[in-house]
Order: sequence, then structure tokens, then C-alpha cells
Amino acid sequence: MVDKYTIKFDHVEKSYQNNTVIPDLNLTIPAGERLILLGPSGCGKSTTLRMIAGLEEVTGGELRIGGRRVNEIPSGERNIAMVFQNYALYPHMSVEENIVYALRVHKMNREEMQRRLETALEILNLKPYVKRKPRELSGGQRQRVALARALVKQSPYLLLDEPLSNLDAQLRGQARKELVKIHELYHQTFIYVTHDQVEAMTVGQRIALINQGDLQMVDTPYRIYNRPANVFTARFIGSPATNILDAQWDGRALYILGQKTSLPDCWSRLIARNGEEAVYLGIRPEHIRLQAGVCENALCGQIRYIEDYGSKRGVYVAVGDTEVVCICDCPPCGAGETVSFYLDSDHIHLFSRSTEKSLGYPEEVSDDQVLQPLILERHDSVPA
Amino acid sequence: MDHSTKLQKTSGYSGLKRGPLGQPRRLEQGFRLRVRELRAYLLLAPAAAIFTVFMFYPLAYTVYLSFFDWNMTRPVKKFVGLANYISIFTDQSFGKIMGNTLLYIVLLLVMNFVAPYIFSFVLSFVVKKGKSFFKSAIFLPSVISLVVGTMIFVWLLNPLSGPAASLAKALGLSVPIWSNTQGLVIVVISVITSWKIFGYNFIVVLAGVSSVPLEVVEAARVDKIPTWRIFWNIVVPMSSSTGIYVLILSIVTGMQQVFTPINMVTRGGPDNASTNLVYAVYDQAFGFFKTGTASAYAILIMILFAFLLFLEFKYVEKGVYYEN
Amino acid sequence: MKTKHRPATSRQFGWYIPLILLAAAAIVPIVFALLYSFKPLQSIFGNSNLLTSGFTLENYRKIAQQLPILQITLNTVAVAVLVTVFKLLTSILAAYAFAFMRFRGKTVLYFVMISTIFIPFTVTMIPNYITISKLSLFDNIVGIALPQLADASGIFLLRQTMRSIPKSLLEIAEMDNIGRMRSLRDIILPICRPSIVATGIIFFINSWNEYVWPTLILRKKEHYTLSLAMQLFSSSEAGTEFTSIMAMAVISMLIPVVLYLIFQRYIMSTFASSGIKG
Repeated sequence: MVDKYTIKFDHVEKSYQNNTVIPDLNLTIPAGERLILLGPSGCGKSTTLRMIAGLEEVTGGELRIGGRRVNEIPSGERNIAMVFQNYALYPHMSVEENIVYALRVHKMNREEMQRRLETALEILNLKPYVKRKPRELSGGQRQRVALARALVKQSPYLLLDEPLSNLDAQLRGQARKELVKIHELYHQTFIYVTHDQVEAMTVGQRIALINQGDLQMVDTPYRIYNRPANVFTARFIGSPATNILDAQWDGRALYILGQKTSLPDCWSRLIARNGEEAVYLGIRPEHIRLQAGVCENALCGQIRYIEDYGSKRGVYVAVGDTEVVCICDCPPCGAGETVSFYLDSDHIHLFSRSTEKSLGYPEEVSDDQVLQPLILERHDSVPA
Repeated sequence: MDHSTKLQKTSGYSGLKRGPLGQPRRLEQGFRLRVRELRAYLLLAPAAAIFTVFMFYPLAYTVYLSFFDWNMTRPVKKFVGLANYISIFTDQSFGKIMGNTLLYIVLLLVMNFVAPYIFSFVLSFVVKKGKSFFKSAIFLPSVISLVVGTMIFVWLLNPLSGPAASLAKALGLSVPIWSNTQGLVIVVISVITSWKIFGYNFIVVLAGVSSVPLEVVEAARVDKIPTWRIFWNIVVPMSSSTGIYVLILSIVTGMQQVFTPINMVTRGGPDNASTNLVYAVYDQAFGFFKTGTASAYAILIMILFAFLLFLEFKYVEKGVYYEN
Repeated sequence: MKTKHRPATSRQFGWYIPLILLAAAAIVPIVFALLYSFKPLQSIFGNSNLLTSGFTLENYRKIAQQLPILQITLNTVAVAVLVTVFKLLTSILAAYAFAFMRFRGKTVLYFVMISTIFIPFTVTMIPNYITISKLSLFDNIVGIALPQLADASGIFLLRQTMRSIPKSLLEIAEMDNIGRMRSLRDIILPICRPSIVATGIIFFINSWNEYVWPTLILRKKEHYTLSLAMQLFSSSEAGTEFTSIMAMAVISMLIPVVLYLIFQRYIMSTFASSGIKG
């Protein structure tokens, strides 16, 4: 489908002299979507955004906006609005002048300009500040002015480059909601860069996770969290990070960190299909249950230390050389003592050791199905 | 006709879709780049023209003139090779001129580099009150003409009727006739020059010194490090980039500014006692109309300054910072 | 607690003495010049002191009689305005190119231009004298102004300021399709205004105080600038009439000092940034 406002990266490459930042990017952003570009700093997410904006040259492949190749189209002719991380407000202009400056330069008629200004001021609660200079505004107000300036352009695309990272935590939550509200009002294509996963999860309809210039996964927040496509995605999303444990498959049983466990059949079939002996098993800290002492049929290790999060506690358990993090309401025993733990088999993730890609999920463990918790059992008997 | 070329062009583009940058794009980009560059050069042109005509061409011409015997009015210049250089090196006053130049440099460095450094440390980290008053007061002479400054000092230090003389008389002393005293004349001329240039250097050093984070100095204070050590071991290294810039600047501007009091008060005298390289150029050119000799002296200065320029590039432009 | 504090404060007081002496050394000569410019000549010879010797405008009257002082002041203003306007223009254009444009040879050109700070006046003096004579600009304010219409330190200072403007400001203007010259006019120049004002004031004052070059170029009294008039007045007309010389000094430094007092804050911060490279 060639939508009028689709943005399409087709084998896009970006390099500076001989330093390649983005080797080969393929991504389609349908009109009206809220897409988040998420990744660690320096991963190329801002570069991607700036290529759409026309502030960075595309050095290979093709970037299409609304079906038109834009590689050679100067930034100013692309009709794209943007909010910068530092807001980029003109320090010598008042709020009002900042918002309408570009419209005025392009000689928009007075009434239309006034109408757009009024609407933007209204939506963003900026009425009382129209005459102020940026330096007389708080961080949150500045961010809203930058947004207002982007809105009056009435572009079908709104790019946001870490727009909330200069705000304090409380304001950020509020601003997030405001952004979603604005999107629902105008339905422009939102492309939003952030390194904050909470922001990504709450604002995004889809998240494109990028690492070292490579697209790791593009999907809904739910699927990114619950169905990570690879080890990087599983590790990057969630805090504390997903435990990625070494596991060996001997054809019948799975040895997690050298300890034999029996796996529900559906998972075994997946591993068998993969054909590799060595795999990674991913499990989120909140999907591990702890019990004091050495238990039959369970992995065990020693508690190293306990972090208190207030409502929950993070327990760091040493199993051999590996550290496993679990989250629970109340640890069964103190540091230095031995615990057993059970992995919730509905919430495990299996990855190939060689490609680090997900082995997929059995049909029995489908996305939206509520499943009974199963417990991985540990067998003391040595495999034959 | 039109249509077909258009079609060809389109297919040309689509054929290059995934390959390396295609020929037509390259050309178009190259063209745009050249237009942009042209605009940059156009913006630089006025400054570049002035610099070329009144800085670089004269520099080259001075080098050229230093090999000729000429008096600026005669229609023919006589090529004399290195004779001008030989004549200045063998001139009996050459040693004196170089010695004086060195003495000026040392005095100017002490007064306009070392002193501002210490005072800006004091103002940044030692005292707490009246900072802006001191800054304004100390900078004030920088905006006043050195001609004015020289005249005021000539009177203030006049051995017969100046205020310094009255003060000295009240204390039973007398002010020496400094403009006629070997050695002392250089000191006084350096003081007059420093009166003007101290403030500027001070403000620049101050900016460098106060960019040293207060926490670093406070951390040292907590550890009971003596003040002079805080200055020498912490502040000086951390502001070294600005420091070297001012060090070079105090020589470059000092050497040139010192010309004014020399020309106004002593005209190099008594018996060349206050002449330096800069004044020698002027004296040879407009006193004796010996353009060649003057140019040879000028080239000596240029060599000295080129060395300083080299230091500037080596240590300042590249950044001596410990920060970053 | 209190006993611990005391030594620190007294040490701090100790440091005020050299600072006060330094400030006095800077200001006292100016104050003396101002005071004595209103004193009768005999006050500096007799035993009368500052308080008892009375007040007179005689010194200023003498200057007005002996020199076309109004004309000289106007000449100085004319040269300073000419130099300031053109220096600012050439500096702004060059600084803009160096700060925001990409072109071949940029670094080299920048360093070549900046290195002119290190070309001493004496090295260019003779050829420039010949050039000006060839252009028959002797005894002409254009002849004084012409060689100084570009200034490396101005380019340096303004480039520094322009580079401190966040790039995103220009990028948003670019995305809004605002032309380069328009953004120079509407965005960059207004933001740089404090630096431009300060640099302009500095140019003005430096030109006002210019001495060596006018000495070489100017001949007739009615073409003199203040610095030149001051020197000739003090060495010939007035001789040892120090009170008249002080009056002349006051006239010469009046405008620079007033400008400084008005624009002090701008000037200081702009000068301060000149030593911090980046």
C-alpha cells in the first residue's frame, strides 16, 4: 500500500567518511502512527530521525516520504515539524514570536496565523505566557512552546528528539500524556526518539528498537516486552534486565546453568526444531519465584545481596559464576543463604546461541492466552 | 522530445536505486556544493582582500626590501644582498638594542603576565567582596590611549613639578631624572605601557582562572593545601591554555605598544638606552630613511613573532586543557 | 567555630591591600589628570595643594585657542566610525562563513587570517606607507582607515559567539525553509548582539586611540586626530604647561571612558571569552 504519507526506509545507509553509523535500514512507518525509535545512546536513532528531517544526508539507499524519494530534497521543502531535545527556541523572541516566526516569514495570512496560534496556545496551556521570553519560562513551559511551534506548522509529520529528557521525572509523566493527547487530536505521524524505555512503552504504538545502527525489532510495546525477537531486545527492555542464562539441550532435557531441568513438551519441540545444542534461556526477574533452602526439583544458588525498591525487593542470586536477578515481595532468607528458585515456564524465552535470535514461542503459549503456571523441575539424576 | 528525455532521466534514477551513488546525482550534488562554497568565499572576500593588501603583501614586500638599499623616494632600488642584515648585526648599537628588547620583554612579562595571573587567582578564589569593583577599576586604563597615559605619567613622574616629586620632597627624597637614566628609563617606560595593557590581560586571565571549578579549589582547601600550592599545582595547570595565550599576547602587544612612550618621551635615547627592535624599525625608516635597514630589523621582529605564533598553534589552538 | 573562622578572614583582608593598591594605580592617574585640568598652571609649581588652588576653565580655553579642537574631535569620530562599521561588517561576514559554512580550505584560511594578529605593525608599516602614498591618500581619513578595515580578533570573537549558538536553532530554521541570509538577519545577529556591540565598542575605542599610523599619514593640523594633536600640543605649544596638557588628556579620553562605563558588562564578558579557546 502506498499511502500518501508513508515514510519508507529502503536499504538506507548512513556513513561519515569511513565510519558507518547505519549499515542497512529497512523500515516503513504508516501515516498517523506513533512510532518510537528506542535504543542506547549512540545507536543511530537520532541519525535516523535527522535523516527524515533532512538534517543528515542519506548516503545510500532510498528514503521515501509519501511515495516520493527525498534523498535530494532539502530539509526546508519536506514540510516536517520537529521538537528538539533542547527545544531550540529562539532566545530573543517571545513565546508568540517563536511560534509564528516561520509562518510570518512565509507570509501566511493574518487570520489563519492567529487562528493556529490561538489553538496551539489553548491546547498547550500557554496563554498566560505569550509575551515572555524563553529564559523566563520553566523547562516544562519551554517544551510546550517548542511543541506549539511544531503544531502550528500543521505538518503531517512530527519528529520528536528526546523531547522530555530535560524535564524532571514528575513533569515527564504529565508531558507524556499530553503528547499522546495531542496525537489523538491531530493524528500526524509521530516519530519519537528516546532512550527511556518507560517513555517508549507509554507513548509508542510501535517501538523500533535499534542497536549499533541495526534494527533489532519493530513491534507493539506488548510484544516487545513479551515476545522479544532477540537477546538484545530481551535484555534492553525491562529493569532489572532479563536474565539470560546458558542452557544445553541433550535431546531430552535442558541443562540450565549446568543443572538439569525438565521442560514442558511444547518448549522441547522448539529447541529440537532449532537443532542446536546450546541455547540461551531468558527469564525476567519478576517471573522467578524463590524459596528458602535447597529444594527438590529446583535450581538453587546463594543470595549475594538484596536491593530494596520499596514495594518490591530485588534479590541477586549466584548460581556458579552467573548472577540471576529475581524480584519478589519478600525474600525468603537473607544474604549468604541458599535459595531455590522456580522459573515460570509461561514466561521463558529461548534464543539461539549462535544468532541470538528468538526460537519462537509454542502455540500453547500464545500471546493473549492466560496459561497455568508451570514449574521447571530440576532432576538430580544424571542423564544417561 | 521533452517527454523522452524526462523518461530517460527517471529510468536513470531508478536504475541507481540500490547501487552506489549514481552519476547524475553526483553531478547535481557537486554543483550545489560548489555554489555553497562560492558563497562562503564571497563572505570571506572583503576581509581577505584587506588582509592581503595591507598585511600579507606588505609582509612579503618588507622581506623584499630588506635586500635593497633604498630611501623610499629614489626611483631605483639597489640590490645589496644580505648587506642590510650584516650592517645591523655589525652595528655597535645592535647589542644594546637586542639587550633592551630582551629587558622590555622580561619586564612586560612580569608586569602583564605573572602579576595578572596572581591577582586573578586572588580575585577568583581568595577574596569574596568587591570583585566587580576591582574588575572595572583595573580594566579602565585599557580603554585610554597610551598617548594620554604617557602624558599623564610624564607629568606625574616629572622630577621638578610632578606630584611624585612633591611627595618625594615631603619625605626628604627626590625623583631621579628617569628619562635620562640608563636602565631606569626602560623600567619606567614598561610601567607606563603596563598601565595600559595590564587590565586587558588581567580580564582574559581572570576568565581562564575562574573557569577552574570552585569545587576543585574547595576540595584542596578541605585537605589543608597551602594557598600558594593551590595556585601553583591546581589553578595554573588547569588554566594553562589561557595562560599561554596571554603570555604570548603580552609579548606581542607589549612590544608594539611600548613604541608610543619611547617615541613620545625619549625617542630612543639617551644614547639608544631605551631603543628596542620596534623603535629601531621606525627610527631607521622615518628618521634616517634607510628603508632596507628598517626592513631587516622588521624581519627580525617577524622571526621572533613567528616563533611565538608557532607556540600559539602548538599549545593554544590545539588546546592545553586538562578538561576535555 | 568562631575561632576557626577568624584567621581565614584576616588572611582574606591581607589580600585586599595589594588589590586596592593595584586599583589605585589604575585609577589615580586618571583622577589626577581630571582634577589638574581644572587647576591654574601655578598650582603645580607653588606650594599650594589641590584643595586651595581654586578652579579654572583656563586650560580648556587655551586648547580651544591654539587648536581647531572641534574639527580634530570630529576627525577622530569620523575615522573611528568608518573603521568600526567596516570592521564589523567584514568580521561578521567572515565569522559567519567560518562558523556555519562548509568549504574547502576552511581551517587553513581561518588560521591564516587569525595569524595576522602576529604580524607586527612595524613589519607592514613601510609598504603600507608606500601604498597609501601611491593611492594619494595622505592627509586623508580614508588613508588612516583603509588598512584597518578587517580585524582578526573581531573575526575570532564573533566566530566564537556564533559557534556558541545551539546548532538546533539553525536546523529548525532550515526545516522551516528560512533562507540563510534571513536567518542571519533574524536569528544569528540578534542573538549575537551583545558580542557585536562589545566588539564594535572595542573597535571604536582602539581606532580612537590609534597613534602611530596617523602620525605617518597626517600632515595638516586640521586633519589631525586627538591622539596626534595631543602629542604635538604637549611637545610644542604647551611645553611644560602640564595643566593644559591634562585638559587635552581629558578631552582625548572622555569618549572612550564614557563608552566603557556604559557598556562595561558587555565589553568585559566579550574580552573574557577571547582567551578561552574552543
